Amino acid sequence: MKAEKQPATIADSTTGSHSEAQAAENTGGIVSPESVPTERRAKPRPLPASVLTPPPPAPSPRLDDYRDIIGEAQVDALRFLARDLKGKSIKMVNSTAVGGGVAEMLNQLVPLLRELEVETHWDVITGGNDFFEVTKAFHNALQGSDYNLTQHARDIFLMHNEQNRNRLEFSEDFIVIHDPQPAALIRARKESPQRWIWRCHIDLSSPNPDVWGFLRPFIEQYDAAIFSSQSFARQLPIPQYLFYPCIDPLSEKNKDIDDSFVQHVCDEFGIDRSRPIVTQVSRFDRAKDPVGVVQAFKQARKYVDAQLVLAGGGASDDPEGAAVLKEVKEAVGDDKDIIILDLPPWCALEINALQRASTIIVQKSIREGFGLTVTEALWKGKPTIAGAVGGIPNQIIHKLTGALVHSVDGCAYQIRYLLTHPDFAAQLGQNGHEHVKENFLMSTNVRRWLLLLRILLAGGAK
Amino acid sequence: MAMADEHPVRKPNKPFYFNTSENLLRIGRQKASNVFELWQALQTCPDDSIFQHTFRTLQEHHFIRQGFSNDFAHWCLSACNEPVLAEQLASVDVREFTDIQGLRRRMVGIVDEFLQQHPQSGTKPAHEPFYFCASSIVVLPTQFAPDTLPGFTDGLRHVSLHSIHHHFIEARLRLHRMSNDFSNWLEQEVGLTQAAESIERIDIYTNTMEGVRHQIASIVEQTLN
Repeated sequence: MKAEKQPATIADSTTGSHSEAQAAENTGGIVSPESVPTERRAKPRPLPASVLTPPPPAPSPRLDDYRDIIGEAQVDALRFLARDLKGKSIKMVNSTAVGGGVAEMLNQLVPLLRELEVETHWDVITGGNDFFEVTKAFHNALQGSDYNLTQHARDIFLMHNEQNRNRLEFSEDFIVIHDPQPAALIRARKESPQRWIWRCHIDLSSPNPDVWGFLRPFIEQYDAAIFSSQSFARQLPIPQYLFYPCIDPLSEKNKDIDDSFVQHVCDEFGIDRSRPIVTQVSRFDRAKDPVGVVQAFKQARKYVDAQLVLAGGGASDDPEGAAVLKEVKEAVGDDKDIIILDLPPWCALEINALQRASTIIVQKSIREGFGLTVTEALWKGKPTIAGAVGGIPNQIIHKLTGALVHSVDGCAYQIRYLLTHPDFAAQLGQNGHEHVKENFLMSTNVRRWLLLLRILLAGGAK
Repeated sequence: MAMADEHPVRKPNKPFYFNTSENLLRIGRQKASNVFELWQALQTCPDDSIFQHTFRTLQEHHFIRQGFSNDFAHWCLSACNEPVLAEQLASVDVREFTDIQGLRRRMVGIVDEFLQQHPQSGTKPAHEPFYFCASSIVVLPTQFAPDTLPGFTDGLRHVSLHSIHHHFIEARLRLHRMSNDFSNWLEQEVGLTQAAESIERIDIYTNTMEGVRHQIASIVEQTLN
């Protein structure tokens, strides 16, 4: 192991340093400053401050901020759409105010709807540990896990929904209930022109029949349901709409950043921008198949020169994540071209920089929700290779907006092909960017909400 | 492009009202897990499903210059691995149809003929199902309502691509004739018959929608010059 070729540092999620025990486990391209004799290791570089401490929350974007991204005509269309909704009110209800994709989305959506003069309120349900244990189990069961639904679990679910029904007011014109946790709030529905919408953010394609059988009678009382992919929906007697999850192009994770910052991050992490960079950004989770990515990269590198960056998190606070990281290290062996970064969750800007520095981005999932890391990669115009699972085929049209793969061999081939056909790769990246712009941006989601409210107002549902 | 002998440009009697349309996707009740089920569902699905997977999908994929025609063709290739059927379905130009029924008959006919020639392909399971969707559409005004040709090209360059799609591609379902709103206005209000014909000949399957916009503007500007 030559000092000048040590490419990486791996940051502890909380301290940025490593214990001796952790260091002893390190192999290959993962460099633990304490584990390598001083004369043989690269000089440790200070990590960016944002890696060590969470940055302050970014201010909510304003509608006009999107003009340069989606064009004036599209912003005007949003204002036209909102015109008939002035004076109408909407309430969003979910189960958490911070953390998680739904809260993050609502934090962006609610201010934009308000700016469009659609009076929008947001309430969060409350509940004890017993309730959230039950709803967590429901969440997993609805996505296919085994679960024994007991009467006790039903009672806890209904009791907390009832308490929230009594605590909250539902006087708005539209009530939007997010996910299964508050689904039974539909009992608060009165005989009025009020419209109730159930926004399901999870994959219901193969739900546990007992849990779905319990929830279904509540869902059928809504005026409409919204799913994130055609394949996530169920047969229901109410209209079902398709709202793709979206990214905010103005967020830390996706905004344009100066190339000097990209260079700075690469320097900090020991990434050589003069050589091709293949990156997967994902937590260390078997569903994301990081070991498969390492195998595919090693196959491809027999033909092409490249570095692999696996940027993830979750290894420090999740026992399974730590186990997966260990498997990844074993798969990496002593390969110095593979750089593993276990980043804390607030490193959005660094992730943005890593994605922008990449030549190709991989998301070789074998199970996936919608796959927003794919959306992020496409938005940055990167040629993207991804597993054909979950919502990824909605985003990647094979050979048009990216490459879909079904195996390690397929992934290896696509890495080779795209690295050796840069014009084709660039075209994929350009198409992918346009695809996101048209279908998967926050502004598109605002448009969908406005359309749905107008359609429901005109009696379009039921 | 022969526009040298074009009639003199006259002042339009009516402005061109640039509108735009926005759509919301509804998930339908039907799905197909093989080509035979596609054939069945094509015959019974609502008109707005046929519209969504042919006309509307072109807007959603307006940035693709080649290789994408409609959702049925794409699914037959990517999920069923039936390139012959995919090519045949992809060759259908939606602009040859002024109503959905005609387009539906054409699609059903292609799949029907394929199944007769390749009966073993009918029940071969697809990698993933085809989910029939449909669009709920809201038509909106824009701020552009020009009553001169320079104003028309200015509007053309500033409206969204959804507006171009609305006037250029979906218009024939409204007009029930083989034309589009731009050609219609240029011919009837301005007397530019040849420009109208040139615009109608633009190939949407080898252009992005942005490319279509530029070509229409170029044709009108040539006339102006």
